[in-house]
Amino acid sequence: MTILTPIQADALNELGNIGSSHAANALSALLMHQIELTVPAVEIIDLADIHGCVTDDLFVTILFEMQGEIDHAGYIMFLLPLDSAIRMTNVLLGTTEEERELTEMDESTLQEIGNIMASAFLNASAELLSVVMIPSPPSLVIDMGHSAIEEILAELAVEVNEVIIFHTTLTCDQYSINGNLMMMPAIDTLSQILTIMDQMLNDTA
Amino acid sequence: MADTNQGHSQRAIVIGIGEYHTGAEPMTSIGLGSCIGLIMHDKILGIGGMAHIMLPESGGKRDRLGKYADTAIDILLQELSKKGSSKNMLQAKMVGGAQMFANFSGNLSIGERNIEAVRAGLKQKGISLKGEDVGGTKGRTILYCPANNFTISIRRADGTCSEI
Repeated sequence: MTILTPIQADALNELGNIGSSHAANALSALLMHQIELTVPAVEIIDLADIHGCVTDDLFVTILFEMQGEIDHAGYIMFLLPLDSAIRMTNVLLGTTEEERELTEMDESTLQEIGNIMASAFLNASAELLSVVMIPSPPSLVIDMGHSAIEEILAELAVEVNEVIIFHTTLTCDQYSINGNLMMMPAIDTLSQILTIMDQMLNDTA
Repeated sequence: MADTNQGHSQRAIVIGIGEYHTGAEPMTSIGLGSCIGLIMHDKILGIGGMAHIMLPESGGKRDRLGKYADTAIDILLQELSKKGSSKNMLQAKMVGGAQMFANFSGNLSIGERNIEAVRAGLKQKGISLKGEDVGGTKGRTILYCPANNFTISIRRADGTCSEI
């Protein structure tokens, strides 16, 4: 496991910061309302403790693999509590019923929202790093958050017992919508990102 | 994210991914997806063990014994034997191994491979599999209280509960 130096941790935080603020702006433009986001945190979390970060509560999880110049770069996820997901599609589709199941129309709307946010995130970080990355087509699942990410962990944490998570919470007070944007880079991706960042830091030093 | 995991798993020891525990205390595994919750129970002593298995094969790795099907079975047997269980008194149950994403391109059918590995491992050790709730596409949270009996309570995201 890579131990991050304080400078590297700062640089990663900045990357997550830029990515998630662009994603939040994209969501804000869609909802035509201001989105607040918590300061994104880069955390190294032990597999055994993931349940403290992503619980077994019901979430709509929209998943994207990061593709492009780096192969199997990792994943971007957008986790929404079900009631927030319904309120969000209500805003966009002009529907009002809150006590209902998600329809196919809701699901494709959520996938598209996720797609726009993931693209914004990757565009912003790609610009910073000069690495072209795009999101895969979205996968959506409505189930326990922890269950949904286990398959991803089974891929990212074969050789290691920790995962790196960029994590930020987005809220829209107007419609009481909240969601969690997460990015989990593969270990190889992280070292590539760190190498690029080290070069950039040296160049400016 | 706010932790609202109340009730079902209250006061139980949470067995996170790759962890295991043996004893008489209540144990829980939260949000099993493609992972397997493997439980071994000794009805004579009223003790047992639980492991939260993520991958089918350790390939010789010894860093997280609960993480892989083969090492998890070994360590549960070993720890329970230390606590006085004899192998022929032990029975097993397993829960999990779902495929959550229909079109996920990652670690291919990892849930299915986990199920097969646990089944094969138990058979090899001669431990009988007394119950299972595996496969499908839904997540499961499990609770096991060894001191009561060998009942495993299973809760799904929509709130429905069942027992094996």
